[in-house]
Amino acid sequence: MAVAGAVALSACLVGYIFTARRIPADASKKRKRSKKLWFMGLVISAWFLVGTLIKQFTGIKSHLAVEFEMFSERVDIFGFSIAKTTLTGAGVLLALILLLLALRIFAIPKFSVENPGYLQTALETAVEFIDNFVKNTTGAFTMKNLPPFMLSIAIYMFGCALSELFGLRAPTSDLTFTFALGLCTFVLLNYYGIRKNGFGGRLKNMGGPMPAMRPVMIPLKAVSDIAVPVSLACRLYGNMLGGLLVMDLLKGVLGGYGSGLPAVAGLWFNLIHPGIQIYIFVMLSLTFINEAMELEEEETKKAKKRA
Amino acid sequence: MNFIAAAIIMFAVVIGAGFGMCFATSKAVDAAARQPEAASKIQTILLLGCALAESTAIYAFVVAIIMATRG
Repeated sequence: MAVAGAVALSACLVGYIFTARRIPADASKKRKRSKKLWFMGLVISAWFLVGTLIKQFTGIKSHLAVEFEMFSERVDIFGFSIAKTTLTGAGVLLALILLLLALRIFAIPKFSVENPGYLQTALETAVEFIDNFVKNTTGAFTMKNLPPFMLSIAIYMFGCALSELFGLRAPTSDLTFTFALGLCTFVLLNYYGIRKNGFGGRLKNMGGPMPAMRPVMIPLKAVSDIAVPVSLACRLYGNMLGGLLVMDLLKGVLGGYGSGLPAVAGLWFNLIHPGIQIYIFVMLSLTFINEAMELEEEETKKAKKRA
Repeated sequence: MNFIAAAIIMFAVVIGAGFGMCFATSKAVDAAARQPEAASKIQTILLLGCALAESTAIYAFVVAIIMATRG
C-alpha cells in the first residue's frame, strides 16, 4: 500500500512539474485545467501515502464506536475531584486574559482619536456592534452594564469552542458549564426586571395585563421563567455536543487516514457553527431580559393619564 | 433496544422541527421579498424563531443520547 502511494505521489509530482513547465502563464483555461488536475492528484496521493504510513506505524484502525460520556472525566487535584472541562475552561480564560492584556499593553499602548490603528478600529467596530445590538433589543435602560457582559461571554464561549481544535473536550459541551451561563441570564433578567419596575412591577409583568387573572398567571410565568436557564443550557449543550460527536465519528471512521480531512470539517463544526450558536445564545438572553423588563402598554398609559 | 428507542425519538421529533423551521423560513423569504428594506429585522426574528423551533430537536437529541449511553 505504501509503495503504491509513493509511486502515485511521485507520478503526480513528475506530471505536475512537467505540465507546469509547459504551460505559460497566459494559457487558456482548458490547458490550465490539466495543471489543476495534476495538483489535485498530488494532494490526494500525498494524503493517501501519509494515511498509509500512519496506519502501518501506529496501528490505528477505523471504527464506528464513539467513546463518549454525558459528563467529562474527572481528575484529582489536592483531594478535590475536578472535571477536565472545568480545567479547560479556566485555561481558556487565562489564555484570553493574557492575550487581551498583551493586546492592550503591546499592540495598542495608547488609544488615539485622530489616528486609530487597525486593531483599535476592529475593537471599536465590535464594541459598537454589541452596543447597537443590545440597545435595539432591550432599550437604553441596560446600556451601562449589559453590552460588556454579553461581549465577554461571547468571546469566552468562542475561545472555549476553539479549545476543541487542540484535542480537548470543549467546556461548552459540558452541561454544567452551559447551565452556569443560563443561570447568569436568569439572574440578570430578574435583576433588570426588578430594578426597572420595582418588585411590584416585576410581579405585574409576570401576571399580565388583566388584574383578575394575576393569581393564576404568576405561578405559570414563574415556571416558564425557571425554564429559561434550562432551555438555554440544553440548547447550547446539545449543539456543541452534536458537533463534537460528528467530529469524533469522522476521526473514528477515517482511522489512520484521518490526517487533514477533519481539519476541513472542523472549519464548520469548530468555527462557524459555534459562532451561530453564540449569536443565538446572546440574542435569546437579550430577548428574555427584554421580556422581563417590559410592562404592558395600558399600565403606562394609565400612569400617564394620572400624571 | 436503547438505540432503537433513541432512533425513534429522533425520527419523530426531527420531522416536527424540520417542518417548523421550513414554515418559518418560507414566510420569512416571502416577507423579505415583499419588503427588502426590512430584511435585517426579519432575519433577526427568523433566527429567533428557528432557534426556538430547533430547541425541541435539541432536547430530543439530548434525551436520545442519555438513553443510548446509559439505561
